[in-house]
Amino acid sequence: MRLDIRAYLPNRVSGQIVVLLIVSLVASHAILTFSFLYYHRHDEPPLHFPEQLATLMELISANPTDQRETLIASINRAFPRFELAQLPTPPATVSGAASSDYEVAGFAHRMGPNYRVMRLPSGPSTPAAAGDRIVIGLHDGEFVSARLVPLPFSWFGPSAITLIVILISMPLLGVWAALRLTGPLRRFASAAENFDPNGEIAPIPEHGPQEIRVAARALNQMRERIKGLIDDRTRMLAAVSHDLRTSITRLRLQCEFIDNESARAKMLGELAHMESMVESVLHFLRNSQTGRQTVALDIATSLQAICDQFADTGREVGYHGPDHAVIRAHPEDLHRALTNLIDNAVRHGAKADIKLTLTQPTVTIAIEDDGPGIPDALKQAMLEPFVRGDAARGMDDKTGFGLGLSIAHAVIEAHGGSLTLLNRVPHGLVAQVVLPQAEPKTLH
Amino acid sequence: MPHILSVEDDAEISRLVGRYLRAADFRVSMLPDGRKIERALEDGRVDLILLDLMLPGEDGLSLCRRLRTHSSVPIIMVTAKSDEFDRIVGLEMGADDYLSKPFNPRELLARIRAVLRRASAATPIADRARYLAFSGWRIDCLVRELKDPNGTRIVLTGAEFGLLQVLCERAGRVLSREQLLDLTQGRSIDSLGRSIDVLISRLRRKIERDPHDPGIIKTVRSGGYLFAAKVEAS
Repeated sequence: MRLDIRAYLPNRVSGQIVVLLIVSLVASHAILTFSFLYYHRHDEPPLHFPEQLATLMELISANPTDQRETLIASINRAFPRFELAQLPTPPATVSGAASSDYEVAGFAHRMGPNYRVMRLPSGPSTPAAAGDRIVIGLHDGEFVSARLVPLPFSWFGPSAITLIVILISMPLLGVWAALRLTGPLRRFASAAENFDPNGEIAPIPEHGPQEIRVAARALNQMRERIKGLIDDRTRMLAAVSHDLRTSITRLRLQCEFIDNESARAKMLGELAHMESMVESVLHFLRNSQTGRQTVALDIATSLQAICDQFADTGREVGYHGPDHAVIRAHPEDLHRALTNLIDNAVRHGAKADIKLTLTQPTVTIAIEDDGPGIPDALKQAMLEPFVRGDAARGMDDKTGFGLGLSIAHAVIEAHGGSLTLLNRVPHGLVAQVVLPQAEPKTLH
Repeated sequence: MPHILSVEDDAEISRLVGRYLRAADFRVSMLPDGRKIERALEDGRVDLILLDLMLPGEDGLSLCRRLRTHSSVPIIMVTAKSDEFDRIVGLEMGADDYLSKPFNPRELLARIRAVLRRASAATPIADRARYLAFSGWRIDCLVRELKDPNGTRIVLTGAEFGLLQVLCERAGRVLSREQLLDLTQGRSIDSLGRSIDVLISRLRRKIERDPHDPGIIKTVRSGGYLFAAKVEAS
């Protein structure tokens, strides 16, 4: 059976942090204490040092003479603090135990009666610091030299490296664990930032500590609800637009069979008004859902075409500006926005002037009328949906839902531009549209 | 008397369209959905189909595509959706024209007459070029789009586009104002009663390098207009 350590961890982030703290504190204390006890004891004689040396000697004695050299080399690799060395010839002063040397005598006593131990005298053939070395006579007459006291602590010794590794790895482990704990929170943040109701996004994985799982589930449920609402709205839009258009179509057809010319004209007028209201609401609601590509558009010819259409219906609309100017845009959306603004101008003024100026890196379109204008206090509100100008603007009730300006505003902002309403001297309104000439970054 | 087959699921619209078209001297048959459309085509000569996009069962788009595999009968799509996408898809599925609800019945009549006139012309509708190109400019006759030599969209009014297309399709021939008025009528309702000269000057302003010294649309003294650029169809 596989042991899953996660099954024993606390469920909550707080609990996990507490466990992390306790485990790391206990572990670092234990490791430091252990290393202190085992590597930092300099008092004489070192703990178990002679006994360990005796064990090694027993091991060496048990091996044949010709294999001892390799054996000693491998012992040195494993236990460098003994600094064992084979002596080819017995040292000159090997003559029984030197009873005056208490240090060596104590050492020899602890090693046991099987070994003759003496201090290695200084000499040209012996390693440096010979005063700290001892010679051990094995029972078969061979001699091995070793350190009397273990090598002092070294920053490059195995124990120091172990300690350094622990000191580095413990904080790294802590940082890693902390990142693991907070990782789900960062995933939440990025999931919320990238939320696009029109696109397909994989749900946030529901695993990790209890709080994270609960939050992930709640976020996923919210995401589902938002998607559901948007899908509902899309279906509702489709149904409403289909049914309303079907009804208006019936009425339009029925109008053709009305003999009374003036009644027919009135009804057709009402129907046209109804149709434009329906279209403006649907367009406004649909506007946020479109994610189409922009194309290079000649804004100058677009403005000319709109002006010409208004001029053909008997309005006084003039275009002033260059013959050509290229921007990137959604042609249908922008056409609607500009038509709304110009329609607004000709409805409230006797004449309208449309001026296009190229101001790198933007183009500025000024739609000027000589009507009554809008009081400053109302200007911002006029750009909000479903707000109509009041009596000051002299609107009749044929102006629909008041969506014209807000649609224009939304479309122009989606193109990375701005719409500002300004006063004209001596009277009138200027709708100033600034659009970037370069490609807008994001369009929805 | 031309025979029109109207496929429409709304009984009231179907009845009113029938009544309106009969008053305009058409023979009209009606179907509530697309199931019997093949039999109706076999039973008698059908000159034009008015096809609703949203039908119970098989929808208008798929019907249109299926009909196109074995028939070249002119089709006008009618739909209560007006998205640009629907229009293009409808035309690409082989419809000859597209009308969105609510439509003006007079415009419906004008479109029907225009499509019938085109269908009876010498060139079969299927062989008509979708793209026309001249001096680097490109016209997409299907979705009614004009692009300049740099690929920039140039917005034309319906009347301007109709006139440009008529001129382009008859490049190298002198067309009188009366001929142009006759050829453009019915293509687009708003060209009616509009002076050809005004439309020509607006077109020149948009497509000529120097509108005062035109190189593409030339005036022929006492004759009319001539489309002087070389046109390639594809």
